[in-house]
Amino acid sequence: MLSKSAARAFFLGGTALCAVAFLGLTVDTFARIPAQTHQGEITDAVRRGKDLWDRSNCMGCHTLLGEGAYYAPELTKVFERRGPVFIRAMLTDPEKMYPGQRRMWKYDFSERDKDDLIAFFQWIGKMDLNGFPPKPTLAQMATTTGLATTTDRPQIFNQLCVACHSLGGQGGQVGPALDGVGNRKTPAEIAAWLADPPAIKPGTQMPKLPLTVGQRQELTAFLSTLK
Amino acid sequence: MKYESQRVAWWFFATCMLLFGLQLVYGLIMAYAHAGHDPLHPIIPFNVARAVHTNLLVVWLLTGFMGAAYFIVPEEADRELYWPKLAYVQLIALVAVGVTAIIGFHLQWWEGRKFLEIPRPLDFLVVIDVLLFIANIGMTIWKGKRMTTTSMVLFFGLLMAALLYLPGMIPTDNQTVDSYWRWWVVHLWVEGVWELIMGAILSFLLIKLTGVDREVIEKWLYVIVGFTFLSGILGTGHHYYWIGTPRYWLMIGGIFSALEPIAFLAMAIYAITMARKGGRAHPNRVALQWTVGCAVMSFVGAGFLGFAHTIPQVNRYTHGTLVTAMHGHMAFWGAYAMLVLAMISYALPLLTGRKRHDTPAASFAFWTSNVGMIAMTLAFAVAGVTQVVLERRVGMDFVTVQKEIEVHFWGLILAACLFILGVSAFIYNFIRHGKPVAELQGGAGGADDGRAAPVAEAA
Repeated sequence: MLSKSAARAFFLGGTALCAVAFLGLTVDTFARIPAQTHQGEITDAVRRGKDLWDRSNCMGCHTLLGEGAYYAPELTKVFERRGPVFIRAMLTDPEKMYPGQRRMWKYDFSERDKDDLIAFFQWIGKMDLNGFPPKPTLAQMATTTGLATTTDRPQIFNQLCVACHSLGGQGGQVGPALDGVGNRKTPAEIAAWLADPPAIKPGTQMPKLPLTVGQRQELTAFLSTLK
Repeated sequence: MKYESQRVAWWFFATCMLLFGLQLVYGLIMAYAHAGHDPLHPIIPFNVARAVHTNLLVVWLLTGFMGAAYFIVPEEADRELYWPKLAYVQLIALVAVGVTAIIGFHLQWWEGRKFLEIPRPLDFLVVIDVLLFIANIGMTIWKGKRMTTTSMVLFFGLLMAALLYLPGMIPTDNQTVDSYWRWWVVHLWVEGVWELIMGAILSFLLIKLTGVDREVIEKWLYVIVGFTFLSGILGTGHHYYWIGTPRYWLMIGGIFSALEPIAFLAMAIYAITMARKGGRAHPNRVALQWTVGCAVMSFVGAGFLGFAHTIPQVNRYTHGTLVTAMHGHMAFWGAYAMLVLAMISYALPLLTGRKRHDTPAASFAFWTSNVGMIAMTLAFAVAGVTQVVLERRVGMDFVTVQKEIEVHFWGLILAACLFILGVSAFIYNFIRHGKPVAELQGGAGGADDGRAAPVAEAA
């Protein structure tokens, strides 16, 4: 039968062995992190962005690298998914972007703060995360239209507009579906609307978005084809 | 209670009750927000409620561990605490820092690092406070009449917990490095050195409550904490799958996490076997219920659910979803909350001289809170798995999915009400015990004989 001293030896020996292995792996990991996380691309803007991320306790609602709280979207790939225009609008006034929905605290971010956070997200998005977040493998099976059709849309449409509007049954439910919008509105009306929605229809839930002229032209051309 | 200075434990336990109660309030605020109602958002936005909820948990558990240590160590070392007054000073300081942190969170004074939100200046105060505590306990053991395995394991568990708080303060501007060190604190606490504390407290309770020979219990204590470190240290790897660290962590973390349930299973078998073997009918049946319950629920919550969630192929989809919250709630409840409640249940009649452990309220508290927690875990599981399927597998938008699973949070709130009812009964029982009495209880009994402590009815 096992004696108490043998049990103690098992405890001390096992612990020492594992601790040494863990420290060795830690040293090796630190040697590899700079390449895997593109540490050379950490600019001052990224540094300030991380500082804002920490100071605002964004992790108290969101996840980043899958870590944080589960109340708000995962932001590891937000730069790729939503793009800088959406992120900037969201950071300016979250409730305007998601009226009547789950609320985000309205921080008083300066324009430079927003630039810094966007730089931070862009840097995070480039990391090699061993395959996280996973691609939604059931997406093709779940819908007949499929996500493949989204490739012929302007990128800004897939990043920004679908957050609130749907097309072909896919997208948000905040604003009206955009199927057939080309029948209902002329290109001129669409262009004017995109420039400043509250000016056309006071009280609308759609905020004035920080789109460039080029982006508005691209969207107007695309939306006019939806007949 | 054999020594005057053990009485300070009551004040630590009373603080636990207060903070635990408050933790539940903030939990409810979050559950309502998840169910689609956030009327408190302008005052207490979600990230404030979240920081308060988790930090209160950590603080009340640490307070409970300290109270347990102040109760156990004099009895094990066979002497009064080395600095009895320091124990009170140290509690007051801890509460002051805790209250400052909680108020600070409401004013958005914090570090946005999950579980380590306490602002940096307060971090240093926490470390100083814990070192004072360690010194007090350490001197008591050192100057004591005997050095038992139980008290040594408890001491090293607490010492390592204090030291492992330090890596969390290493400054870095790389998010990956930040996370790497953060898990040294969080993981090596809850799946490492806190299990030493847990093993030691369970041993103490089993020695007292079952009457099984100390040598037998302490031998198995070594085996269990041996398994804990064998699996737990390299098991840290399950936090290093997806944060920008090398791919080999998937294999190392996967294998060693899969071994982690062994330590918890051993703990459960150990507690059940000793309780059976003991054959002693200790009058404090509820304390034994909490003790065995703690070992069993920690196996289910921390061991089994943790295992299921950390298999790399599964974790790829469940990482960063409500599945984590499911595992987290039952793991913390089973392993650590129930442990502190077991300790309180055992110590309270001895501290206050009131034999209220056989009341219906005590039994009601045990069963209702546990059934409530199991139901909460199920609600989180349904919400979490639905989220994983819709968001991670089908590719639906986060916000749309959250709308879909709102209904499960009403289930969670119902379960939480049951849980809160049980906890309220526990707190009610605590209050009914009253304050600690002046005269010593059970001084006549042998050191290892809890029953020989004649618990007098309070006059």
